This record gives sequence, structure tokens and C-alpha cells, in this order.
Amino acid sequence: MTGDYKFNTLSLHAGFTPDERHGSAAVPIHQTTSYVFKDTEHAAALYNLEVGGHLYSRISNPTVAVLEQRVAALDGGIGAVATSSGMAALFVTVLALCSAGDHIVSSSQMYGANINLFQHTLSRYGIETTFVAPNDPDAFAAAIQTNTKMVFGEVIGNPGLDIMDITVIGKIANDAGVPLVIDATFNTPYLLKPLQNGANIVIHSLTKWMGGHGIALGGIVVDGGNFDWGQNKRFPTLTESHFGFQGVNLYEEFGPAAFITRVRTEGMYNVGPCLSPTNAFHLIQGIETLGLRMERHMSNTKKMLDFLLQHEGISWVKHPTLPDHPDYDVAKRLMPKGAGSVIACGVKGGREAGQAFIENVKVASHLANVGDAKTLVIHPGSTTQSHLSPEAMKLAGLTDDMLRISVGLEDFEDLQADFEQALRSAAKI
Amino acid sequence: MKINLNGEIVFASTGGRNFELKGKPIWFIHGSGQSHLSFMLQGRFFANRGWSVIAADMPSHGLSSGIPLDTIEAMSDWHIALMDSLGVEKVQIVGHSQGGLIGLDLAHRYADRVSRLSLVATALSIPVNDNLIDMAKNKEPVAIKAMMDWGHGSEGHSHDHTMPGQNHLNYGVQMMTANKSGALHADLQACVDYVNGPSAAAMITCPTQLILGQKDKMTPLKFGLKSAEALKTVNVTIVENAGHMLPSEHPEEVNRALRPFFTKS
Repeated sequence: MTGDYKFNTLSLHAGFTPDERHGSAAVPIHQTTSYVFKDTEHAAALYNLEVGGHLYSRISNPTVAVLEQRVAALDGGIGAVATSSGMAALFVTVLALCSAGDHIVSSSQMYGANINLFQHTLSRYGIETTFVAPNDPDAFAAAIQTNTKMVFGEVIGNPGLDIMDITVIGKIANDAGVPLVIDATFNTPYLLKPLQNGANIVIHSLTKWMGGHGIALGGIVVDGGNFDWGQNKRFPTLTESHFGFQGVNLYEEFGPAAFITRVRTEGMYNVGPCLSPTNAFHLIQGIETLGLRMERHMSNTKKMLDFLLQHEGISWVKHPTLPDHPDYDVAKRLMPKGAGSVIACGVKGGREAGQAFIENVKVASHLANVGDAKTLVIHPGSTTQSHLSPEAMKLAGLTDDMLRISVGLEDFEDLQADFEQALRSAAKI
Repeated sequence: MKINLNGEIVFASTGGRNFELKGKPIWFIHGSGQSHLSFMLQGRFFANRGWSVIAADMPSHGLSSGIPLDTIEAMSDWHIALMDSLGVEKVQIVGHSQGGLIGLDLAHRYADRVSRLSLVATALSIPVNDNLIDMAKNKEPVAIKAMMDWGHGSEGHSHDHTMPGQNHLNYGVQMMTANKSGALHADLQACVDYVNGPSAAAMITCPTQLILGQKDKMTPLKFGLKSAEALKTVNVTIVENAGHMLPSEHPEEVNRALRPFFTKS
């Protein structure tokens, strides 16, 4: 990424200029639906996208724009659009690229809602998905069809923790004239900047590590601007007349920003999954300390792995930084600072013992989220992935005894004591 | 729109409106390693207000094919050929940076084709650091990043943008990267080689205008002001705190300065 500021400086400052009139040092919450036009010409200029500014908060908002500009800076993107959730970010991305009759190639090992969206929702609208293992580049190459509009996956698969080699798969996708879209929620730009490692579009659930506090939902789409949409006839939504915008050809008119412009002018304008200004404010507060938190997440994860690996109550431990992980080398190359703070493990005694463990933790919280500053635990088989069929569970690499731990920022001694007593309870089952 | 010029494809933005020849078109000329996209907001602004607008990608830039032109004079000749192919007799020029040098040359050598000349963030000559020339030739991505770093002012470096959610620096890098390899080096060398700026300025008779960035590191303000003296330009706008990438970082100020300068007839 070009720019003279480093990660933590960008986390604190990027995208915000204090206004001259009030000089507010913190990003103000612009809790408004609409904006007063200076005159009729100004109003027309805003609608024509010939001047910057805001029309209506479904489309853009000053507080949300700071968040968008900050994340775009952190990820090295040319622009970003924030959404009400990570799922909304994925949906508006698909909407900008795909139409009925199109096709997606996706990793099979992902968050359950991502799989459901592709498998059950989009298929009702004529968009089909071929699922392949994230660590099988040849399978991605073989699955790409002439109507494929995007290759998609999570760098760190949730919850199976398989690693997608985005450098290799990005090249495969781009060589076939298809963009690589990456859900980078589990790595955040602190651990890996996908746009500089093979991806063309990044989405995040900001609800997780980016916000870190677990108080605000949000998502974002970041455009790398590094994919030539005009190289073939595959992307008519970007290279042909755009119905919603005076018939303009977005590729010709906005160049590298064609995709993100479509996301805003169609996804936000026509569908409207907008982020509230207050949630944007909360997420900005979280991002200010992202670097510091991620350092601590990584160090606590290392300690937790050491603890779990030696504990007699644990039957297996999976994390991409462990040498026995099948994607260890890829993880080390892509994410030398750490491969996320989620650990998968099995408690001896199977599903019942795992449930006992979860019901007995006191410091850790049992809930359906990851990436909080607090340590979280869950049994995916009975919760986040419970809607998956046995076949889909198998395809996603999930087992019935699996626990997912999202390691937080507590003093590790307290976490260790908590896990120790909960594992003792589980052993009694 | 796409035009076939001597067997090569030329892309010219018309500001998002169909091109219809009315009066003297506003003819935007981009800078070194740039494309029509540098004038995205100016083109849309004027096209939506009834002007005919052309912002063409020179060969090897943006969406145009062909090999890069290697002198400012050759670039001027190319613009004249493009005007001829479109049946355009006379234009009102906006030249940014290297585009300003081309504008000077056009207004001098083709005085009957230029009715008004607006020079944005430019000077009578644009010397280029040897290291940058070398990087453009041998390490183009590094040169592009350096140019975007030096070229942008406080807006770019604070990652703030008038268009919600966008990023000046990274957009600039991708816009330049989209050009064909070699285009940037040819442009920069052409700037170095062009020494006729002062003599051209002395001969220009059409109305001229200068729009300069107060904190421009690439064509510093003092050199822009010297151009004003040579051109006997009274119409000078200095945009406070602005860097070299004025049209994208300060579009409203640039449009506000340009609008009263141009005529519709």
C-alpha cells in the first residue's frame, strides 16, 4: 500500500479530518438520515456523482465514511462500503457481480451462513455455487466455468481453521479472468492484507476482531481496484450501461472503482443494508486499538495452545500455527505474525464432555461470536453449524466433539485457571 | 467513447454524457502516467452543465491502445489528430501537470485550435528527478507509489476523501498501474526533454488561467507563479493546502475556478 503512515497510526487517524468549525477530536456521530443541500445545483451534482458528499444515510453517511476510509487504508484498498453486517457485505458483493445464470466457486469450509447463502438462497435466484476444499488449488481451477463471476473463501476457515492459499488461488482465479473475493474476518489486516497477496476484493465482519468489543454489528466490502473488469465480457454489471446511474458504463467512468461504485449505487441504493452511524462510531473506537489487541490475541493464543496441548483432558487441538496442521507452511508464509486467535479442539469424552466444559467455564463466555476482547467458547455442531446436514458437516471438516475457542485478552493465568476447572468438571461426565 | 485513430483505439471520456459537439469542447489533457480518470469529477461537472467534454487517454494510457508517445510535441500532434477525427475545430484546454506542457505547446504551435488554456498544477518546464526516471524505467511499481506519495496533499495522506469511502492514494496507484508498462517512463522523459515552455508561453495569445496547489511538491507553487508572469496571466487561483493531484483532491475548488473561465459559445 502507498502511504507514509504505518498500521497503528492509520488505525487511529486514517479517514478523518476534524472539521474546522467544531474541531471535534473524536469522530462525531452524524445521527441523521439526510443532508441539507446548498441549492438545487448542489443537489443535482450529488446525484450525478460529480461532487463528493452525502445524500441520504442509506447510501452514505459521514461517520460511516470515516470507518470505510479507515478500513480501506488499513487493507490497502481503493475504496470501501460499510454494511449492517458481514453477511450483508457478502450479499452486496454477489449482487454487484452476479446475475441469474451465473456461477460462484467457493471454499467448502466456511461460516455456516456463508454456505447457506450460496447453497440455498442464491440458488433460488439462479446463481449456482460449486464448493471445493480451500486447500486444493487444483479443485478451484477445475471448478471455474465460463459463467463463473467470483472465487470466494475465508483465509482462515470458520470453524475448521483450514487455510486458503490466497496467493496461489488468486493467481488461478485471475488467470481465468475471475476475481478472488476473500472473507478476511479471522485474520484482519493486522495479520494479513489479502489485497496485496492475491485477492481483489475483501469483506470483513467488523463485528469480530475489527470492533473487538462485541457491542456493534457491522460489515464492509473493500475494493482492491486491482482487477481489470474490462479484460473480457464476463462482467456486464460493470462494463455495460448501469441502469441506476444514467446508463453510465462504470468501468469506463470510474476505472478501478467500478466495482465499489456499483456496490454503493446498487447494493446500498436499491437494497439498503446500511450501517448505523452509531455502530460505525463504536467500530471506529475498536479499530483504534486493533494492532494492540491483535498482538495480545496472538500471545494469549500461543499460551492457550501450549496449555491445551499438554492437558490430559483434551483429545486433539487444531490451529494453523501447530506443525501438525496440514496448512502449517501456508499459514506461516501468509501470516507470520500469527494465524488468528480461534482454536478448535476436542474434549475427551465427546459431545457430552464438551457440553459440560462449556457449561462450567466462568471467565469465558458461551455465545455465538468470535473475535471479542473476551474469551468465547461454543460447540459449533449444536449451534453455529447445526443447520448443516451431516454431509455438509463432513465437507466442512467438522466433528461432533469439536469446541471452538476464541481466545480473548484476559490475563492468561485467569483463563488457564478457568479452563482447568471446567475441564475437571468435564472429566467427571 | 472509443475512436479509431490511425488504426489504434482511443478511449475518451465524455463526462458520462453522450458526446455532442456544441461550441468549443472542454478538452482535458492528463498528466504523466495518468488517464482520463484524473479528470473524472471535472468531466462529469461540465458535461452535466451542457458543455461538450473530451478527456482522452493518450496511447498506452487508460483504455487506449498504441505505443507511448515520447515527446511533448508528438503528444500535441496526437491531440490535433484526435480533434480532426472528431471534427473539432477549436477547444478550451485544461492541462494537468504534463498535460499543461502539452497545452502550452498546442496553444503555441496550433494557436488557431485553442481558444482558452487552463493550466492546473504545472509549470513552464517540469524537470524530473533522475532517480524517478530510473525507477519508472526499471521499477515502475516503485515509481508509481512514489509519485502518488509525493503527488497527494493532506487529503490523500489522511486517507480522507470527498467521495465517501474512497482512497486517493490507493486509487491513484491502481489507476497508474492500469496503464501499459513503459507509459510512465516515456511521459517523464518527455517532460524532461521539453525545453520550449518559456518560448511557447511568450507567444501564446489566447486567454490563460493557472490553478495551482499551495503545497504542490511535484510542480512547486513558485514555478507555477513564474509561469503566470511569463504568460501574463492575471487569472491565477491558488488552492490552499493542496498538493499536485488537485483535480481529484480538491474537485470543487478546481471546478469553481474553471467554470467562469470557459465559454459555451
